[in-house]
Amino acid sequence: MDFFKQNIVPGEVLIQLVAFLVVFFTLKKLAWKPVLTALEDRRKRIQDEFAHLEKTRQELEALRADYASKLQKIEDEARLKIQQTIEEGRRIAKDIQDRARSEAQETFEKSKEHLSVEVAKARVTLKQEIAALALQVAEKVIGEKMTEELHQHKAIQIIEELEKL
Amino acid sequence: MPHEEAAVEHVKHQAHELPNLITLLHENFEHAPVVQFLHQWENILFSLVAISLLGMLALGGAKANRLIPEGVQNLFEAIVEGITGFVTGILGEQGEKHVPFLGTLFLYILFMNWIGLVPLMKSPTSAWSTTIAVGLITMFYVQITGIREQGFFNYLKHVAGNPSNGFGIVLIPLMLVLNIILEFGAVPFSLSLRLFANVSSEDRLLFNFASLDVARPFLPLFFQLFANVLAIIFSMVQAFVFMLLSTVYLSLVMPHGDHKHEDHGEAAGHPAH
Repeated sequence: MDFFKQNIVPGEVLIQLVAFLVVFFTLKKLAWKPVLTALEDRRKRIQDEFAHLEKTRQELEALRADYASKLQKIEDEARLKIQQTIEEGRRIAKDIQDRARSEAQETFEKSKEHLSVEVAKARVTLKQEIAALALQVAEKVIGEKMTEELHQHKAIQIIEELEKL
Repeated sequence: MPHEEAAVEHVKHQAHELPNLITLLHENFEHAPVVQFLHQWENILFSLVAISLLGMLALGGAKANRLIPEGVQNLFEAIVEGITGFVTGILGEQGEKHVPFLGTLFLYILFMNWIGLVPLMKSPTSAWSTTIAVGLITMFYVQITGIREQGFFNYLKHVAGNPSNGFGIVLIPLMLVLNIILEFGAVPFSLSLRLFANVSSEDRLLFNFASLDVARPFLPLFFQLFANVLAIIFSMVQAFVFMLLSTVYLSLVMPHGDHKHEDHGEAAGHPAH
């Protein structure tokens, strides 16, 4: 018991009790709770920031993929349009060629026809001139005046004979 | 005779630790009432010094409240994080509410242990009065937590040994006495005696090496340096052990742990299950 009496002083124990309690409640209110709250807030904030960063990264990734697909689509469309334009150009060229060819053919046909008509006309004129000439020659040879009808008849007869030759 | 007793008391008091500021004052101004007062309450005064240092660390660290911590804030936040991780590692997430108590306990004891290593200072924890006060507070805190966490009826059941059958009921008086002695007596006694004995032993060791220095200069200085390094480490270990045991006592009265199964083997009757 002497050991206890020597080492444990009740007044000192009481003061130490009170001192510790004062320290505990003071630090709990002014140090531990604010720091624990601040640490929790910081942890939460960092988590939120990381989540936000991850979300932004995913959004950027989606945007990039979207942009790439749109770019690809635009390239495809451009390629298609170029292809269509080339086809259109070819088609127009072919049309022009066809039209030119048909027009040329038509012109040729018309010219040919016209030429035939002219040849026929020339033939008729030539016949008439030959007939007139032959008539004049016949008049000179026969010495008689031929009537117009007779004249015509004989001339045509001679021409036909000549044609037979 | 009273004079002889006083002399013996004086020798006893002086013999086991290095002199501090107040004992030096007392030696030189023994009859001055102020010095006598200071000498009588020297443990309290040195406790106040330790408390001031602790307050500067904790309040300085908490006051800064910067997003990117620096200096004292950084140090204090590291301590808080460390203690929180340790406590929640034992008690689980619900142990976080006990971090202020256990953290204060650790830092309070650590500062009181370390302050004795500063020349002309003294460790208040080398006096049993200081450590028994802290031990008693721990005991009360543990019991109050037990009542809060388990409810008063279950707490009483726990103190009575959690009887679940006739044999348990018969054993209630014995278990009641045992638990009361263990939890209300042995806990503060063992906590305080361990801390007091360790710190006062460190002080005695330092005192004896210092005495050797006086007797044989130079060589024992290395022993004293070695003892100082050991004292720094063991002071921290003692504070840590005090906090660890307090955490374990808390885990024993909290209604969740598996230790209930191991300690009493009557988990089925426990309210948390």
